[in-house]
Amino acid sequence: MPNLIEIKNLEKSFGKNQVLKNINEVVEKGQVICVIGPSGSGKSTFLRCLNVLEKPTKGQVIFENQDLTNISETALNKLRERMGMVFQSFNLFPNMNVLNNIKLAPLKVKMISEIETTKKAHELLEQVGLADKAEQFPANLSGGQQQRVAIARALAMNPEVMLFDEPTSALDPEMVGEVLKVMKDLAESGMTMIVVTHEMGFAKEVANQVWFMDEGFIQEKGSPNEFFVNPKTKRAKEFLSKVL
Amino acid sequence: MKIKNIGIIFVIVTILLLIPFTKVNAASDGYLQKVKDKGTLVVGTSADYPPYEFTVKQSGKTEYVGLDIEIAKQFAKDLGVKLEIKNMNFDSLLVALETHKVDAVISGMNPTPERQKSVDFSNIYYRGKQYMLIEKKDKSLYKNIHSFKNKTIGAQTGSLQYDLVKNQMKNNQVKGLAKLNDLVIALQSGKVNAVAMEEATAKAFAKNNSSLEVINPNFNVDSSQTGSAIAFPKGAKSLVKVADKTIKKIQQKDLINKEYIPLAGKYMTNNSKQNSMWNYWSYFAKGIEYTLIITVVSVFFGFLLGVLLALLRLSKGKFQRAIAITYIEFIRGTPLMVQVMFVYFGIGALVQSLPALLAGIIAVSLNSAAYVAEVIRSGIESIPKGQTEAARSLGMSQTITYRYVIIPQALKNIWPALGNEFITLIKESSIVSIIGVGDLMYQMQLVQSATYKGVFPIFITMVIYFVMTFGLSKILGYFEGRMKHA
Ligand SMILES: Nc1ncnc2c1ncn2[C@@H]1O[C@H](COP(=O)(O)OP(=O)(O)OP(=O)(O)O)[C@@H](O)[C@H]1O
Ligand SMILES: [Mg+2]
Repeated sequence: MPNLIEIKNLEKSFGKNQVLKNINEVVEKGQVICVIGPSGSGKSTFLRCLNVLEKPTKGQVIFENQDLTNISETALNKLRERMGMVFQSFNLFPNMNVLNNIKLAPLKVKMISEIETTKKAHELLEQVGLADKAEQFPANLSGGQQQRVAIARALAMNPEVMLFDEPTSALDPEMVGEVLKVMKDLAESGMTMIVVTHEMGFAKEVANQVWFMDEGFIQEKGSPNEFFVNPKTKRAKEFLSKVL
Repeated sequence: MKIKNIGIIFVIVTILLLIPFTKVNAASDGYLQKVKDKGTLVVGTSADYPPYEFTVKQSGKTEYVGLDIEIAKQFAKDLGVKLEIKNMNFDSLLVALETHKVDAVISGMNPTPERQKSVDFSNIYYRGKQYMLIEKKDKSLYKNIHSFKNKTIGAQTGSLQYDLVKNQMKNNQVKGLAKLNDLVIALQSGKVNAVAMEEATAKAFAKNNSSLEVINPNFNVDSSQTGSAIAFPKGAKSLVKVADKTIKKIQQKDLINKEYIPLAGKYMTNNSKQNSMWNYWSYFAKGIEYTLIITVVSVFFGFLLGVLLALLRLSKGKFQRAIAITYIEFIRGTPLMVQVMFVYFGIGALVQSLPALLAGIIAVSLNSAAYVAEVIRSGIESIPKGQTEAARSLGMSQTITYRYVIIPQALKNIWPALGNEFITLIKESSIVSIIGVGDLMYQMQLVQSATYKGVFPIFITMVIYFVMTFGLSKILGYFEGRMKHA
């Protein structure tokens, strides 16, 4: 499988606080990677460095042969189109209905026609099981529904890879399943995904690789079987003993 | 770097240009020629001082009348030019003269040594005694200066009477107000016990109001300090010369006593005959019109400039931010009244023909922009960071993000605050009346002097302001409701 994203010597500090320390990893096309680790270990920061919502202090993120840390604003915008992101807090635009939330970026960024974007939006809503919610405003949807709309919104740009930052952490327990189901379907359709999550069940079932992060490093990585059954590092063992 | 320096220099130079209230000491006195070239003599006066100067309504229009106005007419005629009267606060007259807003001041003004330091005077054209206006019921209490012991005396600020009371009635409190009408209200409502006033004026008030009475308290008046003269800019000898000729002619024929004062008296009795408020509805209508024009235009430009300032304030450039912050803090840290006067007299010193209305609109717009900028900034900052991040992660540029995601949400949040600013401006714009803009507040003062009624015009004005602000807040509330559903 070809490499989709290469992360080289990635470092990130907030003032004196070094959050990411020299990360070197590769994401292959079609991989589903679950990033797990204790709170504050730098998982979100890592993910946000990949689409440069957070500018890395050092190192490179190479995506489609371009170093995202060292290109023009316009070129960066162009590449962000191809990296969808789903946030813990959904971040739907409250001033538009569901349909317009999904259509906005294709319409204004990609300049795709009204008719085509509408058609595509309805297909995506079908895909995430919300065909009947097109005219609703975000405030009238449950958390699980909002997060599924957020996934559809990211997919509307036809991304090459999807980044998820704890997509189910803000949800009531009974809504977690519907979101994970959508993500699982997406993984099965071949989408490359990097998922920061505390849902160990999802990681075991869907991930090709689990990356265990602590103190700004990827301390250990492996297939879910290797990692969950036989963790190598002491930190991973400790972490798993707490969460499992 | 270069451009930044030029910017700073530009700001400094502008400020330097604005600070000095330009005192042009013309080497060769071109004042007379200038007036002739213009073809108009602009005379400043404070038209609430019957019988010297006051207003009447002639077939729906406001006209300035009184003995000073007659003198001004004669003076203009002798100069062979047209006459234009500019009405303003007595306090502002000398500043207007120094900043060349007016060519001469004819406003019953005493040529005190103090004033002679900053302006030149013609010969004295009329000499009246200094009187006290009191309430009729107190008539038996007061005989002369000494019988006013421990009483509060009102006088027009900046006037000779004010100084007389200060210097010769040391045991008394002086209450200074800018308008004679307000002083008379103060008298009638017991705020002051007497108002020091020039003889003819005091008699005029007493004649038109049966509850008032005059007495001569026998101020010890230095004859060089009494009497009224025409004031000119320092050095305007050529104009003084013509004025003295005019005055001599008038005195030879005794026109003031024989014609001007009787004529003024006729206008005054006419006024008091028709002092039902209903006769003055056109004043209030005009005032509403001006107030609305000032407010609407200022809201529009204040909003545009406010958006610009808010964007500067939020921009990444340090220099841009510094400009915006300095501007906003400075405007919010100084009173609107001072800003209005600064624009009119300060900037007006550079741009001679800056009309008062335009100066008022500029000042109010500049003021409003600072407040609007802060409202907009807080609106933009109140939008959660996640909104920007979601938009940017979809590949939207900064501009698209602002245009479709941030600004629409921010506007919705700040709509009530913007509406409040609009309503505030309706009220605050009343301050422009001090530079003589004909807004509602100003018209109220005209009606007061025309009708000799103090409180009732204030009440009407208050009701009109309330109807305007309340109506506007209802309209804005309606749109706010509709935006919530959108
Ligand atoms: N914008 C920021 N400014 C300063 N420090 C930050 C910022 N964002 C994150 N940090 C710090 O970086 C560290 C890592 O934060 P991060 O959010 O990446 O952790 P995380 O692994 O995602 O934790 P969690 O599981 O709680 O989401 C924390 O110590 C946090 O305080
Ligand atoms: Mg996190």
